[in-house]
Formats: sequence, structure tokens, C-alpha cells
Amino acid sequence: MSLAWRQQSERGSHTGIRVMVWVAQVLGRPVARLLLYPICVYFLLGSWPSRRAIAQFRKLALGRPAGWGELFRHYHAFASTILDRVYFLRGQFDLFDIRFHGLDVLDRELAKGRGCVLLGAHLGSFEAVRAMGLLGRQLDIRILMDEQNAPLIRGLTQALNPAMADTVIQSGGVQALLQVKECLERGGIVGAMGDRVTPQDHAVACTFFGHEAQFPTGAIRLARVVQAPVVLFFGLYRGGNRYEVRLESFDDDALLSHNRRDADVTRDVQRYAGRLEEICRLAPDNWFNFYDVWHRSN
Amino acid sequence: MEQSGASLLERDLAKLIVQTLKLKADPAAIEPEAALFGEGLGLDSIDALELSLAISQTYGYQLKSSDPQIKTIFSSLRALAAAIEKNRTK
Repeated sequence: MSLAWRQQSERGSHTGIRVMVWVAQVLGRPVARLLLYPICVYFLLGSWPSRRAIAQFRKLALGRPAGWGELFRHYHAFASTILDRVYFLRGQFDLFDIRFHGLDVLDRELAKGRGCVLLGAHLGSFEAVRAMGLLGRQLDIRILMDEQNAPLIRGLTQALNPAMADTVIQSGGVQALLQVKECLERGGIVGAMGDRVTPQDHAVACTFFGHEAQFPTGAIRLARVVQAPVVLFFGLYRGGNRYEVRLESFDDDALLSHNRRDADVTRDVQRYAGRLEEICRLAPDNWFNFYDVWHRSN
Repeated sequence: MEQSGASLLERDLAKLIVQTLKLKADPAAIEPEAALFGEGLGLDSIDALELSLAISQTYGYQLKSSDPQIKTIFSSLRALAAAIEKNRTK
């Protein structure tokens, strides 16, 4: 996708986040959720680049122009997942009704003892991946991400759960990728996002909601190089305290019958984009790429 | 272009790089002191990882993320060859 998201500063100050954490912890989730209403109105009225991007996305995804109510709901879903991150990071999963689909897919891959790459997107809450530890599974999960471009999230994680902050692998450079390889060799899980292009990334043009958009090849190429299976991961927010975690196998027969390294990466990135599109249609409010995704990157 | 004073290992390594990463470049055209990644050959960190796997297979030298010298090792053909010479087990 385009690099446009990098040009938008993260709105909401550090102070704002600190206040939110305090409210979330001291006053509790119901009160904190009430505060999301004025916050969402503020962003709805005050942040036209993101509002335009959401409107554009919803029009393509749903085939009709989005009204103010829908735009508000979209911001509200986003704000809810940011708030809930506080509870996820503190391990307070009992506050939520989390439904899991496709855990057997993950179990099957992990049983082979060579780990797997969980390929996600900025859709809903990737942080819901942490909830899998709930199910009596001792999972070694590392997340490969560009933390430098998410200082607020990084600060939040370090403040609330320093041990979890250590499980993040800062992307960029061979050292990070060797860490990924070592984690997979231990049979661990590496989470990565497949939908935002960074300047270091190779990207390919894919059809996404009928129009061309750039998608990074990195996560899939990485999995191929280390010969790790890819499992799709979506942590969808379903309103209220409900989350739906979906795990899906990604490696198709064509891929499995060949040497993974020789598989056509472009074809696989398009398959990912296609599946992402389908999931987006199921949960359009969960699309959290608030920039013009279809803008061609250079 | 001729490699200026490339050692035998450097020449073999250049061939391994071209072969592993399926480059169209002539191995002999890889300058020992030039930057391997970034601008030079247009290689990225995933290529570096793939190369490290090939190095492990060919020379029995397993690169680790904990190696503080990792960036220097991948800086040029010469640096990489020197690290292999020092650590190779086959």
C-alpha cells in the first residue's frame, strides 16, 4: 500500500494516552468506554484526512457512501481496541468474550515443531493474539513490527507490561530477521503485518476491492526463506466486549507440493490481499488503515 | 569489471551470493569492498537472511542475532569472507 500513512502523525498526545490508561485502570472499562464518545466525536470532526480515508474505504467495501453515524462507529471501533489494549497488556482477558476459530490450524502447524508465521493486518486488534495464552497453551510469540513508527503503542506496552515489550522484534535489518529465524527454529510463533508498506519494503501491486493497491512482500518472502508455514491471523472487534479471533491456513497445495522458496511470492501476496478483502467485508469497522490505501507508492 | 585483488574465498562467496539470490549480476563484478546491501546490488535484509542460511550450509558458519558484529559482517564481500574464514567449520 502507499506510504501515505507515514505522513500522518499519530494524533493524541502522550498525555492523552496516560490519562486514558489511568481512567482505564482506576475507573474501569465501562467508564472509560463512555469517554470514548467525546473522543470519537473530536476525531470525527477534527481529523479530515482519516475521515476521508475511512469514507473512501467504506464506500469501496460496502458499495455505498458512508453516513456520519457509520463513520462515528468506525472511529469508535478503533478507539475501543486501543482502550482494550490496556486490558490485554495487563492480561485481564476475563473482561472479554473472546471466540476462537481455527485454533486447530495453529495446533497442526506447531505440532510439526518448526514454528509458524502469523500473518495479520491492521484490522481489529492484533494484540488479541496474546489471548491465545488463555487456552492453556504455552506459546512463544514474538511480534515483528516497526516500533519506531508507533512510539505511543511502544510506550504503552513498556509501561503496562515490560516483559511483553521484550517480545517485540524491531523490524529492519538482518539482526531482526535472524531473531525471527531463531524463534521459529525453537518452534515459536512470529507475528507480522502484511498490509502496510515501509520504505525498506519491496511491494507489489495487488487488486484490493477492485482497485490497485501496493502490498509489502516482506512477511511472505521471509516465511518462504526460512521455510516456515504461514497462518493468517485476524483479531476482530465485534462490539461491546466481544472479540473474534480467526486463524486460517494460508499455504495452499500448490505451495506445499513445491519447494517453498520457489513459490511465486506475488501470487501469494495477492491471495493474502484477496482474503483480507473478504474479512474486511465481514467486519468493515475493523479496518484501521486511516490513509489512502489505493494511492500509488513510488 | 575485474575484482581488484579478490581472494579465492571472496570469489567463491560472490558466486554463492549470485546463485543463492538468483542475481543476474556477474559474480566477478562484485567489488570486495563495495556495500553488499542497500544501494549496491539492491539487496535487502531478507536477502541477507537467505544468504546467511546458504553460508551456514556451505561453510558451517551459523550467523546469530546475538553477534554484535552482525552489521559489519554484512557490510561487504570482504567483511563477510573474513568472518567466514574465522568461523567456518567446513
